[in-house]
Amino acid sequence: MIASSASLPARSAIPLVTTVARLVLGGVLIAAGWLKIGNPSDSVVAVKAYQLLPDSVATTVGYGLPIIEIVVGVLLVVGLMTRVAGVIAGLLMLAFVFGIGWAWAHGLRIDCGCFGGGGELGVGQEPSYLLDILRDFGLVLLGVWTVRFAPGAFALDSALGLAGDAGSDRTVAGDHHDGDHHDGDEHDGRERGDEAGGDDARGDDAGDQGTRA
Amino acid sequence: MSKGERMKTAREKIKQQQAAERQREQRRRVVTYAAVGVVALAAIGGGWLYAASRSQSEEAAAGNQAPVTVQPDGSVVMARAGVDKPVLDVYEDFQCPACKQLETVSGQTFKNLAAEGKAKVVYHPISIFQREPTRGNSLRAGAAARCVADGRQWLAFHDLLYKNQPSETVEGFKTNDLVTWGKEAGVTSPDFEQCVTSQKHAQAQLSYADKVIKAQKIEGTPTVKLNGVALEGNVAFTPQQLRDQVTKAAK
Repeated sequence: MIASSASLPARSAIPLVTTVARLVLGGVLIAAGWLKIGNPSDSVVAVKAYQLLPDSVATTVGYGLPIIEIVVGVLLVVGLMTRVAGVIAGLLMLAFVFGIGWAWAHGLRIDCGCFGGGGELGVGQEPSYLLDILRDFGLVLLGVWTVRFAPGAFALDSALGLAGDAGSDRTVAGDHHDGDHHDGDEHDGRERGDEAGGDDARGDDAGDQGTRA
Repeated sequence: MSKGERMKTAREKIKQQQAAERQREQRRRVVTYAAVGVVALAAIGGGWLYAASRSQSEEAAAGNQAPVTVQPDGSVVMARAGVDKPVLDVYEDFQCPACKQLETVSGQTFKNLAAEGKAKVVYHPISIFQREPTRGNSLRAGAAARCVADGRQWLAFHDLLYKNQPSETVEGFKTNDLVTWGKEAGVTSPDFEQCVTSQKHAQAQLSYADKVIKAQKIEGTPTVKLNGVALEGNVAFTPQQLRDQVTKAAK
């Protein structure tokens, strides 16, 4: 594990960094969803403006996206199902990066609609694609970090014993106490990797939705 | 049983207990996870339904539609005879996607309110785009609508224009298409085709738009005004709220 090779202070800082990543990513998602949720029609227009999806799908996505953002954001902030939420959040952001890149590449002049509004820009307004993409890509990285080092400090996952790492690690460490320990730990790490892979697969469904966004 | 054997059994017992404990822990974890997942999915489903229901358009009301009259300046009045308030002014651009969305979501509500005699609806088709291809698209469509003198035909043409709205990145609303849609809308006037093809009213459309945008301080389309006061976007786009506000204004 990366953590074990790092120095002690760095290791103890990791959960806090994860918490900050969770709060930033979750906070942005909640804000983005909240600003859009009162006006589903606006949200539909914003999604349609990307000209990426057929109208009926764009309508569904326009209605659903704000609430998905809020729910995933809340899960991240409280640290519940952190890994799943992190994967979905990361894939959402990745889909947004793709969508904005698409709009840019196709010479559309739209507002990304990231925080409400959206649609064709008026005269004198210039698109801010680069900034939008950089911001969203930064958020993708926060998502990756969150998934890698889930759930971080102050997470409901830990309180509810859902944080797979901590619990099983301790048991494993208690069971073996010789050379095997190392192998066991590594093996455990690999298992957890698989678990994350499973999350990925689950997340891919959401990713499909995201891509449709 | 020797001491060693006893210790062995004890160790095995502990191991078994630990395994059982782990299994119980695992089960509890799965249940919690599933519960949280279900709640999250239910919240998403509920939110989606809420959004969809807010944007649910009204059904066409039974009975006759309100009479539609094309005004000399190109605006179009839809109202029962004698109904002159509250006035619902709709400032729209045939090329604007949000106007299409408004039409999809609330178009039927405008028609129903007029049919029920609860409001006088006035359509103001303006052209707000200043870059090609949207500028030309909007202008061609707006000018073509001015070629329709009959109110009922105009409204049908209006609906067809939104239905066939081109993307904002391509040239659309081509004159031959406009002629076809006009005929589809029931336009029978013999000089309609010539009027659309020659873009006879393009200048009139431009100056009308210019005048209206300045006089009404239109910042974007669609703008819906109730008795001269602009409604907030989410009111116009929420049929139920739109109806409530209009009904309230009628009192």
